[in-house]
Amino acid sequence: MAKQVDLMQGTLEMLILKAVSLGRLHGYGVLLRIQQISGEQLVIQQGSLYPALYRLEHEGAIKSAWGESENGRRAKYYALTAAGRNQLSAETERWNQMAGIIKTILRLTSADLAEAQS
Amino acid sequence: MSALWVRLRSWWRAVTGRRRLETEMEEEIRFHLEARAADLMLEGSDPRDAMRKARLEFGGVASHKDAMRSSLGLRWWDELWGDLQYGARILRKSPGFTSIAVVSLALAIGANTSIFSLANQLLYARLGVPHPEQLRLLTVIGDEHSAVHSSWGSRDSIPGGGARFDSFTYPIYQQLRRENRVLGEIFAFKDTIQANATIDGSAQAVQLELVSGNLYEQMGVRPALGRAILPSDDQAPGTGAVATISEGLWERAFGKAPDAVGKVITVNMTPVTVIGVNPRAFTGARSVQNSPDIFMPLSMIPLVKGELGQSGPLLSNSKLWWVQLMAREKPGVPLEQSRAALNVALSAAINATMTVAKDDTMPRLELEDGSRGLNFNGRQFAQPVHILLAVVGFVLLLACANIANLMLARSSARQREMGVRLALGAGRGRILRQVLTESLMLAAIGGSVGLLLGFLGRTALPKLLLNSWEREGMHVPFDWRVFSFTAGVTLVTGVLFGIAPAWSATRAEIGTAIKDGGKASTKQRKGWSGRTMVAFQVALSTLLVAGAGLFLRTLINLNAIDVGFRADGLVLFDLNPPSKQYPAPKDVALHARIEQALRAVPGVEGITLTDIPLLANSQSESDFNVEGAPETKEPHGEGSGAMETTVGQDFLSVMGIPIVAGRVFTQQDAEAPQRLSIVNQALVRKYFPNQNPIGRRFSMDDSKTKGRSWLEIIGVSADTRYSNLQQEPPPLHFDLYRQSKDIGGVTYIVRTRMKPDAIVPSLRAVVQGIDRDLPLMDVRTQRQQIDATMLQERVFASLTAAFGILALALACVGIYGIMAHAVSQRTNEIGIRLALGARRGQVRGMVLKEAGWLTAVGVVVGVAVALWLGQLVKSMLYGLQPSDPASLVGAAVLLIGVALLAGWVPAMRASRVEPMEALRHE
Repeated sequence: MAKQVDLMQGTLEMLILKAVSLGRLHGYGVLLRIQQISGEQLVIQQGSLYPALYRLEHEGAIKSAWGESENGRRAKYYALTAAGRNQLSAETERWNQMAGIIKTILRLTSADLAEAQS
Repeated sequence: MSALWVRLRSWWRAVTGRRRLETEMEEEIRFHLEARAADLMLEGSDPRDAMRKARLEFGGVASHKDAMRSSLGLRWWDELWGDLQYGARILRKSPGFTSIAVVSLALAIGANTSIFSLANQLLYARLGVPHPEQLRLLTVIGDEHSAVHSSWGSRDSIPGGGARFDSFTYPIYQQLRRENRVLGEIFAFKDTIQANATIDGSAQAVQLELVSGNLYEQMGVRPALGRAILPSDDQAPGTGAVATISEGLWERAFGKAPDAVGKVITVNMTPVTVIGVNPRAFTGARSVQNSPDIFMPLSMIPLVKGELGQSGPLLSNSKLWWVQLMAREKPGVPLEQSRAALNVALSAAINATMTVAKDDTMPRLELEDGSRGLNFNGRQFAQPVHILLAVVGFVLLLACANIANLMLARSSARQREMGVRLALGAGRGRILRQVLTESLMLAAIGGSVGLLLGFLGRTALPKLLLNSWEREGMHVPFDWRVFSFTAGVTLVTGVLFGIAPAWSATRAEIGTAIKDGGKASTKQRKGWSGRTMVAFQVALSTLLVAGAGLFLRTLINLNAIDVGFRADGLVLFDLNPPSKQYPAPKDVALHARIEQALRAVPGVEGITLTDIPLLANSQSESDFNVEGAPETKEPHGEGSGAMETTVGQDFLSVMGIPIVAGRVFTQQDAEAPQRLSIVNQALVRKYFPNQNPIGRRFSMDDSKTKGRSWLEIIGVSADTRYSNLQQEPPPLHFDLYRQSKDIGGVTYIVRTRMKPDAIVPSLRAVVQGIDRDLPLMDVRTQRQQIDATMLQERVFASLTAAFGILALALACVGIYGIMAHAVSQRTNEIGIRLALGARRGQVRGMVLKEAGWLTAVGVVVGVAVALWLGQLVKSMLYGLQPSDPASLVGAAVLLIGVALLAGWVPAMRASRVEPMEALRHE
């Protein structure tokens, strides 16, 4: 099992959107899917998932409906809305841009710097 | 935008479906926990342990639920709801505080809203036509020798000599209209003529306004129904028998039937076709407050009014100034330039149409603001309404002071509570928000009660300004701007004085507040603002009570006046026979016939009539030239002649005016060729000092008149009040109407022991038996008539007395509140004093002395301000000066008495403090 990392602040909502974009899920399912696709490397405080879900629904990025779970129980399912899809792609782009910039900065060596100055 | 909408919708769903939301949250979390527990069991956990483990992984359910609610924007809502509930509990817990605060807020808001709405309607409202601000009223200013010798319209004396007239002769109007290049087309009207109309067979008294053919067009008024009066209606005199009617008359007489247009009604016996109905907002050119019933072209005036005096038809008369003029400003032409140009045109018109005597001066034309019509009410009520505005303004200040005081006292009492809440971790903003919510709740309750009072006042106030027999007064629209202003002021006061102490309380060291540290030391500095507030309240109350005293004593003085006749048991009504049908001398014969017929009605003990009823604010003055005496030099000045009244033969006996010398009129006198007169003692003192006036003759014509008419004095009556109560009895002579050439409309006076309601039907039947179309108008008793002349004084006395009592109550509450607060704060100080041997009487005295000091300061300031402001109301007082000692001393004594009473309860409480208990309390 790989080393686990804590979730970076502000990324939970993006992850939820991504998880839900792959098909509708109930709250516990969102948790499972994020853990699954992260290869069990991310630690999510389970309870904090719900305020984030509610905030996303409040903002109209996801919508919810009650349905039946795989084991026949009543569960609340979340699905991505059109607005949520836009939000996800915007945030993905922003994240990639940011990650790229940070990666460039972190990769910088003194040799690169001297080269750039000459 | 749409994102906001989505959130709002989600929030709204959460707020409205709260119960469902909570169960869903519960269910969702339970599902998560159970699903997790099931997975843990699959991974091999002990079934009993799995649930516990799932819960542990999940974290605090309650705090996550809170975060979920917060995600939906429910947090501030829940907090507000909590604040509201807490506030409601606090307000309920101290019902005394709550009701006092609410009542003072409500009264201040209600009183201000109604008085300001009234003032707005009386003084500032404009005519209901497009762009009223462009309208200009043409008026004439003349000195004592101006060419305006006779006028029918309003004539206001100008201080320093001369007068302002609001009317012109018709030929001058026509010439001005032709010459005018500087204003929009000049249009003309004649305000309110009383007339008798018969609509669908029933006779009623109506008010007419005659308008020039271009008035509707120039004012920009389109009728609600039918068509307007057009220039083609206003052509040759006597033509154009058409009328537009007010919405009020349309409703009253036609029940708003659309077929009213086209109906023929008779106005003073002339058949007239109704062509249109005015919109509700249009009230004619005269006033904003109420509309005349019927509008007709000016060309119809010969048919409804006939001739006035012996001066010929009105429309060609070049001497009588009677028609009122208005025009719209022309854009781009400065007012000064218009006035100069029209002044030239006026002089030219006067020279062209009138014969100007050698020593006559040219009057000057003014262009006054015409946006309020002739604005009688504005000019008549300006002073009293401004005084009322000041009074309610003071009440508003007083209420604000009271609220401030209560809030200050309360928040210092709650310092401890706030300290505890701070210590328990409440944020400062949170506490301030709580105090703010409470203030707003108080303001909301006070404001809604005030709104109700304002609505009631709006209907009640115009009734106060109405004579008891009048049908309908003006309509005062509820003024939302005024309401929001007063509500806003009281709100801000409440909030400021609630927040400020809370602010300083939350800044205090938590420990100090809880320990109630400052208690033992003297409270001198901290109580300062409250004390100032109380002194301020006392000063305002003194002012209001002193004012109420002045107006009440004025009313009492007026009521105590001996009018000089027996005012009880007299019923009055007016009859106004149209001059077209009853031209002189037919009108005299008609009245003689009616007088004779009414004498036989059962219950009538005496019947007479007069052209000038006593104490009805009407008067008629003429020159008084004694035969053989030198003629008076200045014939036109006011007060140079004597008052006259033309009466029936039994006038003195019916009115109960004693005769002091000579004899009364008899039946035979009516046919006698020599005109006879009875004069009062004031007239004898002025014109016949130390002489016997009986048998002497006088004339009302000047020496230049050919064929002067002489009247012989046959008796002397006691003095009576004449046109109003305030005026001393003026020189007055009573002349016999059956000896005069014409009389027109008169007031009948019936002496009876019966109630007016009981006798009027039989009187009406007799009059209608003589002329079916002659309505009895303004039926009232002589007492009501006298009361009507005291209307303003009565309104003032009752309103200021009400406000004075209110002020007293507020001051009383203020003093009580601040003293009770001081005593409770000083409990241990008092305990120590008592323990050290102070007597209880001394403690009581100490508290009372403090209350007394506060009051004394307030009273001195209040009396000083009352003396200063009193000068402004001097003209409205009767029989006393603004510095009236009874009112001022009375107010001071009353205030001090009330203050000591209010201070007594806290003083008693202070003297009952048990030293041991007070000290142990620490």
